[in-house]
Amino acid sequence: MNILQQISDQIDLGDDEKVYELTTTAIEQKIPVKQILDEGLLQGMNIVGRKFKEHEIFLPEVLMAAKAMNAGMELVKPLLLSGNVPMKARVVIGTVRGDLHDIGKNLVGVMLKGAGFEIIDLGNDVTPERFIETAKAEGAQFIGMSALLTTTMPVMKEVVDRIRSENLEDKIRTLIGGAAVSKGYAEEIGATAYCYDGSNAIDYLNSVI
Amino acid sequence: MTSELIYNRIINFSINEMIPDRVVVYKSQGIKQEPKVSKKINDLYDHALSIFTQDVEPKGILKEISIPEFAEVFQGNGENEENTPVQHIFPLADSLALFAFTLGKTISDTISGLFSRKDFALAYMLDSIASASADKAAFMVEQKRDKSSKTLLYSPGYCGWHISGQQQLFKKLEPGQIGISLNDQFLMIPLKSISGVLITGKKEIHNFDHDFTFCAQCTTFSCIDRQEHVIN
Repeated sequence: MNILQQISDQIDLGDDEKVYELTTTAIEQKIPVKQILDEGLLQGMNIVGRKFKEHEIFLPEVLMAAKAMNAGMELVKPLLLSGNVPMKARVVIGTVRGDLHDIGKNLVGVMLKGAGFEIIDLGNDVTPERFIETAKAEGAQFIGMSALLTTTMPVMKEVVDRIRSENLEDKIRTLIGGAAVSKGYAEEIGATAYCYDGSNAIDYLNSVI
Repeated sequence: MTSELIYNRIINFSINEMIPDRVVVYKSQGIKQEPKVSKKINDLYDHALSIFTQDVEPKGILKEISIPEFAEVFQGNGENEENTPVQHIFPLADSLALFAFTLGKTISDTISGLFSRKDFALAYMLDSIASASADKAAFMVEQKRDKSSKTLLYSPGYCGWHISGQQQLFKKLEPGQIGISLNDQFLMIPLKSISGVLITGKKEIHNFDHDFTFCAQCTTFSCIDRQEHVIN
């Protein structure tokens, strides 16, 4: 079995140590780094994503696979950067100001990373200014915001309004999610998309990049 | 949980009684029991549970309160929805008690630490166990209150009771004694904490329709299960 197939299989099994080992070997064998990413690491996560959608596996198993993917990415990412190989897209994520619940946001971040997006995670209690300044400074195309509380939801609108007032709508798109928000709320505040979970966020991002 | 609940007291919970049912945790993660749960997930649960039992520091505080006193607490900063279930239920209660419970700071720190170390699955499983455990604590206290009546916990932030109501509730209950504080957005620190009012009375008082204006935005409808439990 070729080594890229083995990487993919070990991601599916969630074995981070094996993925690290195999990715090291693939790099030593001078396999192009983009090929290792696409045909090994991302291929494995695609299989995991399909199984998750079809309820063959569940979120904990996706997260184990994501950890394995991360182990490979640790080796591949510096090579991608030095070779100017672009990632799919850059996404700034965070839980909005006043809200400290970050499990959901973390899970979305892990899944997006696993799908090949570059994630800049600002953590929780993030101000609108910080979301926008980071996205501008890092050249991110998307801002993903999470809120669990109805009292902190309005911060999402502040971000959307500021993007509009700075005429950045064509450069930075906004995704919102979390227990407090809904598709209706996204439409009401003018956010680009409502994503109810990580898998949904991956589908949305893949459809627009 | 030790002895009967009485006026204004700190409640110590044993760690063993705080362990939630595995099935409840799996259900919260959308894991189907059929045909069978994978060994990987069962091993992950066992690992998370061993961390949970090591790190959890469960403590509760309870304070009896009169109906007029609670009316003031419920009024809060005047930000509740115009029509809420709680405003119709509490005047009919036989007794009321403010209640808060926490699993302690260590468990929240451990969950964050696991995420930082990229142990995503373990962090998520531990978080789910902790959430189910906090729910279990509320259920245990509800069961213990008065066996001849029915008790349910109603909390600020749910069913039209504005989350700013935490401020008044905290003033009266003083859960700082068990290590719970509020941040500017009325969030409890540590995060794995719950609070509210235990309303005890005839089972019929807990029966309400789900046609309040805020029900349209609700994503959980957890009230239905809770109601069914006391009404049927």
